[in-house]
Amino acid sequence: MHKRSLPLCASLLMVALVAGCGGGSNETNVPPPGGPGAPGGTTFDMSKANATITGKISFEGTPPPNDKIQMSADPYCAQHAAQNPTTETVKVSDGGLENVIVFVSSGLSAGATYATPTTPVEINQENCHYTPHVFTMMTNQPLKVKNSDMTLHNIHAWAEKNPQFNVGQPVKDMVSETKFKNPEVPLPVRCDVHKWMGAFIGVFDHPFHTVSKSGGSFELKVPPGNYEVTAWHEKFGKKTMMVQVGDNDKKELNFSFNTNDKGTAD
Amino acid sequence: MKVISASPSPSARGRRDSQAKREPVRAKPQQMAGAPGECIGLHRFALFTAVCTAFLIFVGGLVTSTESGLSVPDWPTTYGWNMFTFPLSKWVGGIFYEHTHRIVASFVGFLTVILTVWTWLEEKRAWLRWLSAAALTAVILQGVLGGITVLFLLPAPISTLHACLAQTFFCLVIAIAVFTSPQWKSGLPLVRSRAESVSLPALCAATTAAVYVQLILGALMRHTAAGLAIPDFPLALGHIIPPFTSNKVMIHFAHRVGAVVVTTLIVWTFIRVARSYSDYSLLFRPALTMMVLVGIQLALGALTVWSAKSIIPTTAHVLTGALLLSTSFLLALRAYAMLTVKLANCRGAL
Repeated sequence: MHKRSLPLCASLLMVALVAGCGGGSNETNVPPPGGPGAPGGTTFDMSKANATITGKISFEGTPPPNDKIQMSADPYCAQHAAQNPTTETVKVSDGGLENVIVFVSSGLSAGATYATPTTPVEINQENCHYTPHVFTMMTNQPLKVKNSDMTLHNIHAWAEKNPQFNVGQPVKDMVSETKFKNPEVPLPVRCDVHKWMGAFIGVFDHPFHTVSKSGGSFELKVPPGNYEVTAWHEKFGKKTMMVQVGDNDKKELNFSFNTNDKGTAD
Repeated sequence: MKVISASPSPSARGRRDSQAKREPVRAKPQQMAGAPGECIGLHRFALFTAVCTAFLIFVGGLVTSTESGLSVPDWPTTYGWNMFTFPLSKWVGGIFYEHTHRIVASFVGFLTVILTVWTWLEEKRAWLRWLSAAALTAVILQGVLGGITVLFLLPAPISTLHACLAQTFFCLVIAIAVFTSPQWKSGLPLVRSRAESVSLPALCAATTAAVYVQLILGALMRHTAAGLAIPDFPLALGHIIPPFTSNKVMIHFAHRVGAVVVTTLIVWTFIRVARSYSDYSLLFRPALTMMVLVGIQLALGALTVWSAKSIIPTTAHVLTGALLLSTSFLLALRAYAMLTVKLANCRGAL
């Protein structure tokens, strides 16, 4: 009897210990400060976001080669991967850097609230890669995680400002859904089964964010105002620029990265 | 050094000779808990469990080195399967390391259950029966800690505790193997100790404690990702004492300081044994083994840094640390048994 209850007591004790030590030091889930858009105020009308910021994320110099991936640890991945697979860290086309998160980092009305899209964002595990590799979404917007592979994956969110999670998806076409409560850039996601599998999410409490596409181009729709815009890349870190836009205004904002830029944990 | 042996001699050689001439005192067979050979099976089984535990520590080290600890997100199940029916074809990538660790751990747990039951059935020494119960408790707690560390996504305190309890469990199994050995039961030779500022048993105990603390620091370093907080060696961030810019640097540097302390104590222990007790292979062999192991361990530590935590040297560093602890512990047990009159007299009654 004693022997049987011992592991249970021990586990309860340890769970209590961990829960006690876990604390909520990283919890930043505080209510937004009062203001025009705060609870009790109105949700921002997106039709007012009529100014356009376009631009290009340039890359100067020769882009560093991506790391080669050794997939032999999982025969399925080895069989379905492209020839000589590499990581997707640095993707440069036409002198432009892809997969850069571009977002308004300052200048929005304090306390403004924005409607959360109900359409889920989807990340797919396909041929042992995450698709997309970098994407953005809003807080409380649904995130669907799909496994299109005939092998096991775990999706592990290495969040700092949101609760971490680690979910297994052993079966093909399995879908899990989650949400993030707090803004966090970047929020890394990885598969611990396949070390090369990594993705980055930008989670925002506003809708003014995007990811640079082929050729490094991007476009943001914002309301008139004076903004700080940040561009973040997983390897080269972040850069910020200021921009002022008026009603129906169009402004160009160009960022430039090079091999000497280094990433920082934001 | 003041010597109180029968024929003190000024030279070290002379001291060794006089030591060798002393007739070893053997405890009377009737004082022992059982006749030699009575439980040889139990001793061999304990040894086998110890070997499997060393392998388990290596496999556990591989899990951390390959960062596979969370590749199986559930526990005690494996992706919803019963751990023992999880298909072999699915042991891929990080799952291979994590699931192998779970299976080997279960096997060691199973061995420990047998060891405990066997000890309770065959052993007349009550304290040894309770020691086996302690080993069983430790292995159960270790399993629970392993599960918690997975479910709570590798919290550093729990992962560190898991690593340290592994070493403690290893020592418990080693102790059971030592205490059930025919050699121990028939009585180790009693050696008259010399009057020294620090007695050999105390020195061995201090060395074992230092190795254990060093293993805690090593585990803390691994589980707080501080292994490359100081990426150069033998200098530390270009200095002898690095600027303490973060907790990780402090933890890493503490492990390096620990290495110096442990090496000093091991060398001191070896010199003491080589000078005064070299004729007693029961003491000399583990002391020599410690010297060899600490040399290998220092080399592996350097390689771990130089190779930026390459999997093999890093994991071998963990295993060698465990072997160093067990050897030091073995030497301490023997030193206490052979050089502590009080313990020797009590041995039969224990």
